[in-house]
Amino acid sequence: MQTVSSAGVTEPRASRPRGRPIPRLSGGLPLVGHLIPFVRTAVQLLERARAECGDVAAFDVGPKRMVLLTGTEASEAFYRASDDVLNPSEAYKMMTPVFGKDVVYDAPMDKMAEQFGMLLPCLQDRRMRSYSEVITSEVARSITGFGDDGVLDMYEYTKVLTNYTSSACLLGKEFREDMTEEFARVYGDLERGITPLAYLNAHLPIPAFRKRDKARVRLVEMISGMIVDRRRTGRVGEDFLQILMDTRYKSGEPLSEHEITGLLLAAMFAGHHTSAVTAAWMMLELVRKPELYARARSEVFRAYGEDGPVTYQSFRELPVVEGCVKETLRLHPPLFMLLRVAMKDFEYDGYVIPKGTNLIVSPTVTHRIGSLFKNPDDFDPERYGPGREEDKRRFAFQAFGGGAHKCLGNAFALLQIKSIFALLLRRFDFTATSDPLEPDFHGVVIGPKQPCRVRYRRIGPAEAGELTVKARAEQGAPKTGGASVAQCPMTGKA
Amino acid sequence: MGLRVIVDRQLCQGHGVCMSEAPEVFEVGRDGKLKLLNERPPEALREQLDEAVKYCPTGALSIVEER
Repeated sequence: MQTVSSAGVTEPRASRPRGRPIPRLSGGLPLVGHLIPFVRTAVQLLERARAECGDVAAFDVGPKRMVLLTGTEASEAFYRASDDVLNPSEAYKMMTPVFGKDVVYDAPMDKMAEQFGMLLPCLQDRRMRSYSEVITSEVARSITGFGDDGVLDMYEYTKVLTNYTSSACLLGKEFREDMTEEFARVYGDLERGITPLAYLNAHLPIPAFRKRDKARVRLVEMISGMIVDRRRTGRVGEDFLQILMDTRYKSGEPLSEHEITGLLLAAMFAGHHTSAVTAAWMMLELVRKPELYARARSEVFRAYGEDGPVTYQSFRELPVVEGCVKETLRLHPPLFMLLRVAMKDFEYDGYVIPKGTNLIVSPTVTHRIGSLFKNPDDFDPERYGPGREEDKRRFAFQAFGGGAHKCLGNAFALLQIKSIFALLLRRFDFTATSDPLEPDFHGVVIGPKQPCRVRYRRIGPAEAGELTVKARAEQGAPKTGGASVAQCPMTGKA
Repeated sequence: MGLRVIVDRQLCQGHGVCMSEAPEVFEVGRDGKLKLLNERPPEALREQLDEAVKYCPTGALSIVEER
């Protein structure tokens, strides 16, 4: 079996170009090409590339040859290509210092597929149903200290919240409860090590990368500690960590602590910040559109009343909220580009993209194509409704990518955002502040530039989670189904 | 005339939403392998099948009418 790193993607390209000439983006400098705008303002660079060249656009970033594919047909060709033609691993080398050597994208293809397969069971539909309850109780817990009114940095809040929700759902109770401040800090250091610069060279001697590497060593220690503890005490958790501890490769070999840590990190990274930015963007968009906000708000009240339980099935009854989530993901996809390296010459529409080229698709760019999405710059949740269904055209809506490597947490993410809003909108009225709404292009996910504060005012008498927690504490009876749940006759439909 | 289920195997990842909707037609293991139990399901399952198509996280399913 061939490993990715030995696959020769940097071989000299001696062959004469075949096929029709690939349109090239203007303005590249000698030697560095479009390196500077790529590092500084990559999204604008990609937008300009499509505007100037169309569906297929070539440019250079330092020594790397890049080709951007946008629109449904070109994206489809990208997403459907098999790993031995367009390989994701090489392109995600920047993640190796975070996830670890020989974990997911750094592992050989077969092993990578096996490892992703180990993530699947906790994201399958059968597990999904239990998550909405976990998420709702985390949201309830997160707002207990809010008081009756105040001002809140939305992104700061959703970062903390989704750290708890993702870890509670994916990694289990123990992990969530044990997440100390140190964990949050270490995790933050890891994240700040993921920059466009890391894509060019993930091992430059800069402070951000040094901190990243220190953080990972510490995280392995922390997670190994939990593993050792469980093995020693025989405690069995009902969580993802346990699944990974119990799982075996086809060869019969168990995962090492290094690999378990890496997979836990992969799950956290995939689910945490992506959800955090999406929840933040959605709230920040909604408070700027009072009419839409009011519709979303009355929809959740209609569905759940003041204190109704949020169930998995009931999410299908929230078309306005769902439209807002999709519209948020369309206009603010957490990942603005996805990468593959051509392992062989790659033919598309008469072009022959040479072996060794870095191929890019960009959800951000494709999502703003006017022929796919009417008035693409408008925040318009109606576009997903009956009669229009603009997201149903394959590979038009690609916030989660597509094909074999499509985000496994796709359904989980939608569930999570809906759960958050199903509760938040019933507990508080949120309104805008004068903070401007702008994207922050630092880091791998694109969040709103901070500060991005909203004002909130409590509505209704009390907060459900608070009530339940208090009642339980007073009665000293940790029974399931608190008072607040018992008194809500309204479920699902209005 | 009848219904036929088409699975785009390049897109299917084995989430199992289809199985929750129409267990008579779809079976998905923990390994994510989708087994089509009935490629030509009866019209009576139409509604469940439509839900499976609609909520498939990867858009891998389609239903065609055959005559």
